[in-house]
Amino acid sequence: MNTCVEIAGIKFKNPIVTASGTFGFGEEYSHFYPLSALGGICTKGLTIRPKQGNPPPRATETYGGMLNAVGLQNPGVEHFLATDDKRLADEDVVVIANVAGSTLDDYIAIGERINDAHAQMVELNISCPNVKEGGMAFGVLPSSVEKVTAAVVNVCKKPVITKLSPNVANIADNARAAEAGGAAAVSLINTLSGMAVNYKTRRPVLANNNGGLSGPCVKPVALKMVWDCYNAVKIPIIGLGGITSYTDVLEFMICGARAVQVGTANFTVPTAAYDIARDLTDYVARQDMDINDLVGTLILNG
Amino acid sequence: MKDRSAVVLSNERVADGVMKMILQTDDMPDDLIGGQFAHVRVPDGAHVLRRPFCICDFDVVAKTITLCYAVVGEGTAQIAAVRAGDRLDVLFPLGNGYRPTGKKIMLIGGGMGSAVLPAIVTAFPDREYTICLGFSDASKVVLTDELAAKGVKVVLATDNGTAGEKGYVTDIAAELAAKDAPDEIFCCGPEIVYKILAHKFEGSGIPVYISLEQRMGCGIGACLVCNCRVRRGDGESYARVCKDGPVFALGEVVL
Repeated sequence: MNTCVEIAGIKFKNPIVTASGTFGFGEEYSHFYPLSALGGICTKGLTIRPKQGNPPPRATETYGGMLNAVGLQNPGVEHFLATDDKRLADEDVVVIANVAGSTLDDYIAIGERINDAHAQMVELNISCPNVKEGGMAFGVLPSSVEKVTAAVVNVCKKPVITKLSPNVANIADNARAAEAGGAAAVSLINTLSGMAVNYKTRRPVLANNNGGLSGPCVKPVALKMVWDCYNAVKIPIIGLGGITSYTDVLEFMICGARAVQVGTANFTVPTAAYDIARDLTDYVARQDMDINDLVGTLILNG
Repeated sequence: MKDRSAVVLSNERVADGVMKMILQTDDMPDDLIGGQFAHVRVPDGAHVLRRPFCICDFDVVAKTITLCYAVVGEGTAQIAAVRAGDRLDVLFPLGNGYRPTGKKIMLIGGGMGSAVLPAIVTAFPDREYTICLGFSDASKVVLTDELAAKGVKVVLATDNGTAGEKGYVTDIAAELAAKDAPDEIFCCGPEIVYKILAHKFEGSGIPVYISLEQRMGCGIGACLVCNCRVRRGDGESYARVCKDGPVFALGEVVL
């Protein structure tokens, strides 16, 4: 049996990675379980300078999911390099630094700065729907996806994962653009743009008005998009969107994901990613299989 | 790994739209203090976010915590439907609670905010407490008996005078404080109460602490969903209600 997967030459002991923005920098969750139980962790989105984020309320529950508009609050990349990155260097887990910017120069600057990090990979957040300059502008048109990916790949020595937005005309075109720009992998999906409304006040619930939808309700959308991208590109795909159990992981891998990310489930159950990794490992052992053999094995109906 | 499963001993309606639940756990912490909260999972798959409830009271020997909560939506309605003998997934104790400094402590509860007060007396029984509770009307009054049973002085007020004194708890607390000169004040209630307290006690020299409420995600400080605005140094920044709070110094919070 084998649960180990490889992306851009980097080995993950299992395909379970925590999703950016749901896991901080791992410190809080490390009080619940050893981070080494996971394949990888993806950091909170980092920007060149510290960012305060949006006013509250920043999140609200919706049926089978939630909306958030945190707005990329983070202490800035220098703080990360001086503190969390060093702490994470002692953990036996792949660390992926999620980075965001407002301009192409921002992305280039942070891509260069991450060269000094312990973090082994970079995930480009070009699809944050919650800040005006959250990089969403880079995530919509295939031409700009390619441009920003190529610009970071050009300066960053670490493998670059481009995180794709579902709020686009054709996500497979954007996956192709990321591949053309030199991305080592793509991750998808980021949150779906949405709104929650209070009928009494006639106002949106979130201070930011709009937010990003995540949780089990988005899983069918994510599975379809992973399959579409799997058929469009040769680079590995990291699938995410509403994963709460090891069977969800199997479904994403069958649709073409080489690894997956667990996000909102961390809020419902603080040990969710740990539980899923354990259950997946048990399943693979019971089946005596290599988990890589599942990738892209979807059998379409007649 | 900490066991989050707790047995429901009771779950009863105690006032209009208010429930009181007692939970027993094998994994009772010995350092619990008032002002901390429990993050309760709604017992179905459709609700992805836990519900943060203040820990109303606790008993280290019986290994129980009491939660007192308002039923405001589908999630809390589901929790209200849980029966004795059922199990709930409860993450606690979370947050930065209230540690009284000084001897004479005034506790002020505005409506549901009163729910946080019994645990403060249980955690620090050796203080001299004066407790002021305010509710909109008699149908909303909770926890007066529980607090009286702890042998502390309780003053009750309702806005319309249907129970206790007629008037606002902030006015009554300010009058009492002028006479008794407490060393410290702790208050839990709606934001308007904090604004009034800020006005009434500004320059009094009495430290005032408050407990904030916000929509939460993880509840452990990782997701930055529940932030509030605070004054730090020369400027303003965000603090996490779940981890840096929910208890803050009144002057620190931007209301």
